Amino acid sequence: MDHQITTASDFRSTSIPNLYQLDTLLRCHICKDFLKVPVLTPCGHTFCSLCIREHLNNQPNCPLCLFEFRESLLRSEFLVNEVIQSYTSIRPALIDALKIQKPITDDDKIRKPQDSSLIELILESENDDSNTADDDLQIVATSERKPAKRSMTDILPLGSKPSKRSFTMFRSERIKKKSKPNEQMAQCPICQQFYPLKALEKTHLDECLTLQSLGKKPKPPKNLNADLKSQDKETSRPKSKTPETDKSDEVSHVDKYLNSIAKEEHQRLPKINFTSMNLSQIKQKLLSLGLSTSGTRQNFIKRYNHYEMLWNSNFCDSLEPVDESELKRQLLSWDVSHNKLPQNTNNNGGISKLMMMKSSGKSSSYRKLLENFKNDKFNRKGWIVMFQKDFSRLIKEAKLKIKSSSPNGSDLTKHIHDDGNEGKLQGVQETDVQQMEEGQEIPLTEKQEVNEINFPNEDLTDADLSRELMDMNEDGKDPPGSD
Amino acid sequence: MSSSKRIAKELSDLERDPPTSCSAGPVGDDLYHWQASIMGPADSPYAGGVFFLSIHFPTDYPFKPPKISFTTKIYHPNINANGNICLDILKDQWSPALTLSKVLLSICSLLTDANPDDPLVPEIAHIYKTDRSKYEATAREWTKKYAV
Repeated sequence: MDHQITTASDFRSTSIPNLYQLDTLLRCHICKDFLKVPVLTPCGHTFCSLCIREHLNNQPNCPLCLFEFRESLLRSEFLVNEVIQSYTSIRPALIDALKIQKPITDDDKIRKPQDSSLIELILESENDDSNTADDDLQIVATSERKPAKRSMTDILPLGSKPSKRSFTMFRSERIKKKSKPNEQMAQCPICQQFYPLKALEKTHLDECLTLQSLGKKPKPPKNLNADLKSQDKETSRPKSKTPETDKSDEVSHVDKYLNSIAKEEHQRLPKINFTSMNLSQIKQKLLSLGLSTSGTRQNFIKRYNHYEMLWNSNFCDSLEPVDESELKRQLLSWDVSHNKLPQNTNNNGGISKLMMMKSSGKSSSYRKLLENFKNDKFNRKGWIVMFQKDFSRLIKEAKLKIKSSSPNGSDLTKHIHDDGNEGKLQGVQETDVQQMEEGQEIPLTEKQEVNEINFPNEDLTDADLSRELMDMNEDGKDPPGSD
Repeated sequence: MSSSKRIAKELSDLERDPPTSCSAGPVGDDLYHWQASIMGPADSPYAGGVFFLSIHFPTDYPFKPPKISFTTKIYHPNINANGNICLDILKDQWSPALTLSKVLLSICSLLTDANPDDPLVPEIAHIYKTDRSKYEATAREWTKKYAV
């Protein structure tokens, strides 16, 4: 997993452990991550738009209170959206800033006149001592952020489970690195920068307080600044943002909230009751939205429902909607992973399978070609050259097959022509791409013979090519007599 | 939203805040296949036993409930010989806001308070209702035999 998992308990080891409540409140109770495009239910609960819509497709109720409602009653929460974006942008810096540090090892020598954070820190660790009897024990034990603290109060006899480290490793190692160069340093409770202790005591605190009251930010010593910067590079995450950048962030979220308006350019897609519709009606519906029509009735319905969810979440709830083609891309990738087409067993010569086989050998060029499959840049010649052998073999096989089953030939021809007239180019091409990606096999039957496919002929037009592919595909998903 | 992300999140939460008397984690590298253990609640005839459960997360988790079954034999009106559990939140009362940790706690409380009115094993439910001490003795015996 390449993303870092954040949990509310990240705050348990900071100087304000209660922030874990805030952190928890800003999360969706379905995905447990920070709310993404939050929407409000009529019962007053908030979820990610996509999460709650997907849930409502299964059960028409609120996951928290089981109140029953329809998906059309969801309302966007622009404020919560900005609150969360603003919060998540400062969260890492917040955790770092509130982390309990112990910059000085021999703190007996030096007493800071007004270091409130140190007092807090000691109180904090005393609390922890008293808590060791209950479940907090585990957290203390596994949190590697606390060794400095424990050295101050006598070390508790705690075992630590190695497995728990994997999740905290990343952060805790950083802390270790960071605290070393700061050993003779102390953190200013006001500006959160590190300063040599004496400088902090003698001059900086006064300076910082004055500057703060004037609303300015003190400048950290030069060498230290460089030191911090180099650490930041290591961690690829700024340790703490300067107040300036924080402010500008804040302003942009405020502006975004003030300027947020529900966009009405796209109508919401309705929920459809498919039970009263026949296959071709559903198919028409999908085609009118430019969606693929591969698979069975069940696949159609699932595909529409998922697209409806993506669409409504995007165009009704989101303040920053993506365009339709991006939605279709999302649908396609969902289709591949979640909407499996029924497996057909007797189609060993399937064109997609061949292409997949090919692709293992020349995957990069194959993918390049496939990228432009749907637009004008599609390299038809390259495609034909790449699969020339396979195409001619398929044609041969098809010819043999049609000879062996000639009595059905005329019926088939008729059927194919019907299909060809009816199919819309766009939808069908998408189907092809999808099936290729999926490694789905399209049964190869007699009808290729009928159409006299001649791929090696470079005089073919693009339209010809797509018609050929379309016909092959039509046959695959709509065997004669299935209607 | 990906189910694997949510499962990974639950794992990390379980590791940081382990619930009392339960533990759970993936079997091998498969994030969708977990194993859990429950300590028999002290105020039940299962006290002293450790019960193992096998957990399968569906790919559309958390929209569908995890499939949980006991791998340790247990004498209980709502748990059958295959280890299947009759628990509403694992079926129609599932909500995506639930977590595995909450489900395990529910199973713990099912061990303390069986629900003989909605039994999976009618024979045990009958004994539970008519002769509670016999039920408890058998449950203790099974716990000793299979779960200690």
